[in-house]
Amino acid sequence: MAILECIGLSKRFGKVQALEEINLKVEPGRVIGLLGPNGSGKTTLIKLANGLLTPSQGEILIDGMAPGRESKAIVSYLSDKEYLPDWMSARQLMDFFEDFYEDFDRARAEEMLRHLGIDETMRIKQMSKGTREKVQLILVMSRQAKLYLLDEPIGGVDPATRDYILDTIIRNYNPSAAVIISTHLIADVEQVLDEVIFIQNGHLLLQTTVDEIREEQGKSVDQYFREVFKC
Amino acid sequence: MLGKLLKHEFRATGRTMLPVFAAVVVLTVLANFSIRMIENDMGTMLNILFGLVIAAFFICILAATIMTIVMMVKRFYTNYLKDEGYLMHTLPVSVHELVWSKMIVSVVWFLATFLLIWLVIILTVLFQTGTNLAEIFAQLPSWEEIRAAMAEIGVRESELWLMLLESLLLTIVGGLFTCLHFYAAMSLGHMFSKDKILLSVVFFVGISFVLSLASTGYNVMRVQNFENLLNAVDSARDGLRFVRTMLHEGLIVELVESAALYVATTLSLKKGLNLA
Amino acid sequence: MEWVFRNDLPIYSQLVDRIKLGIVSGALPPGARLASVREMATEAGVNPNTMQRALQELERAGLVFSQRTAGRFVTEDEKAIDDCKRTLAKGQIESFLEAMGELGYDREGIIALLKEDE
Repeated sequence: MAILECIGLSKRFGKVQALEEINLKVEPGRVIGLLGPNGSGKTTLIKLANGLLTPSQGEILIDGMAPGRESKAIVSYLSDKEYLPDWMSARQLMDFFEDFYEDFDRARAEEMLRHLGIDETMRIKQMSKGTREKVQLILVMSRQAKLYLLDEPIGGVDPATRDYILDTIIRNYNPSAAVIISTHLIADVEQVLDEVIFIQNGHLLLQTTVDEIREEQGKSVDQYFREVFKC
Repeated sequence: MLGKLLKHEFRATGRTMLPVFAAVVVLTVLANFSIRMIENDMGTMLNILFGLVIAAFFICILAATIMTIVMMVKRFYTNYLKDEGYLMHTLPVSVHELVWSKMIVSVVWFLATFLLIWLVIILTVLFQTGTNLAEIFAQLPSWEEIRAAMAEIGVRESELWLMLLESLLLTIVGGLFTCLHFYAAMSLGHMFSKDKILLSVVFFVGISFVLSLASTGYNVMRVQNFENLLNAVDSARDGLRFVRTMLHEGLIVELVESAALYVATTLSLKKGLNLA
Repeated sequence: MEWVFRNDLPIYSQLVDRIKLGIVSGALPPGARLASVREMATEAGVNPNTMQRALQELERAGLVFSQRTAGRFVTEDEKAIDDCKRTLAKGQIESFLEAMGELGYDREGIIALLKEDE
């Protein structure tokens, strides 16, 4: 069964049509790039999958379920916001994740914190912006979820950390889990993706594999993207 | 999962509330000490200093009271409606658990503050009158005496217990209602993409208006009944019964209003969540 | 260290070429056991499905075989490796000839030039 499925999915904010008639399926075992210019509806789609928004029309299904308590237990979500309570330390946050998510692997989170040289007792408030983003990502990637929804995970990080993140995604690869990465930095993630989804102005433009684009177009996804979304 | 939410909520609020409570206790001792010192008159400068301590004591008590309300509003706002909402609303918990965990913790702090202020008053009385607890208790009527007095006017012991229970219930429901009034207003206001805070205030005022209209309407409808009941009162026992009936009426009205606000809160969080 | 990929070719086919090169050069000797798909994917910095596809391609070409439990191994069939080497060499010669042709050399010219260089 598809881990994520959209059926005629639309979302409107007042007069603004953020998503219109999206139909797509994401199978387990895939790493997928959700690509589109700013304001194309990437974040709206991810929020709908997390139940942070309710569809105006159509359906979005996670492992066959409408977003809710059960789906949230199998979805690991990285928002593009800084959403961790800033008075908590990395250790307290691990306690928190351990309490609420059965699939949270604490040993793995501790390992990653050590690897990136982050002190567990430090509070979020005391950390630099980059370190906060790393802690968020570590918590999210330390779950054994069935669907990872990563909204702009490599937006503000340095190249070494970016490589570490991509490495983590590959290492964490699980044939029964899917990873969706929304980004506009395509060249950086292209080689870890199998599939790409292009969206523009709330419409689904294309869902295909990276190698298909390269085979048919004779160019990288990044180059092709620039061509499709030429201003 | 409600238990886990409660645990984390107590942890998050305790780190502000416990120091405030500790400050109240410390200032109670200091203020009582200061009152004695002023009575001893040890010089103008010292008197001013002691006066300031006493002022700080009153301000601190006021602050503790305001803090419980501010805390209740702020926790709901920052934890559910601002960026932390991305964490909280993606936990595998239901909206009901989210709302109840905040309500229960807030009401516990309300009650704790209430008890603390009583404690402060008792401590001050003890300190200033130089009496001790045993003496005070000796002056209070015993439960036996109260029961005997009540039995004389025909009130059974079970009724007394029920009244105590009902008063406690009214306090708790009052606390829940206060929380839900703010929660509903904020949740409704934050369904919109712009002017979320302004709209929350508008909803707060709107809810107050609608609810007072509704309860006034209800009372007008029931006024004949109340009058009949009041007219029928011709003994202390009847008087007590009348008070209890009014208590029940108030409780029911508050429960119905709270239920409506609860539905408004959970529905807007579930269907209308719109985190910026 | 991550591998660098060209933009104009599918990633899996570039992986196939890299691994072939390893086999014919002896960096991956006959009968050698290959690392797991995930390890190889991590080393190359690519998606494990893409690496899987490349390895399947190599299996089809007879350069790699898998044993259900033990993992994947480089073939011990020296002839297959030799054939592969020749094919790769021919490919190199072809593009070399093409480039030289653009410079205006024919075969004889090229041979003369090579001898001159010695």
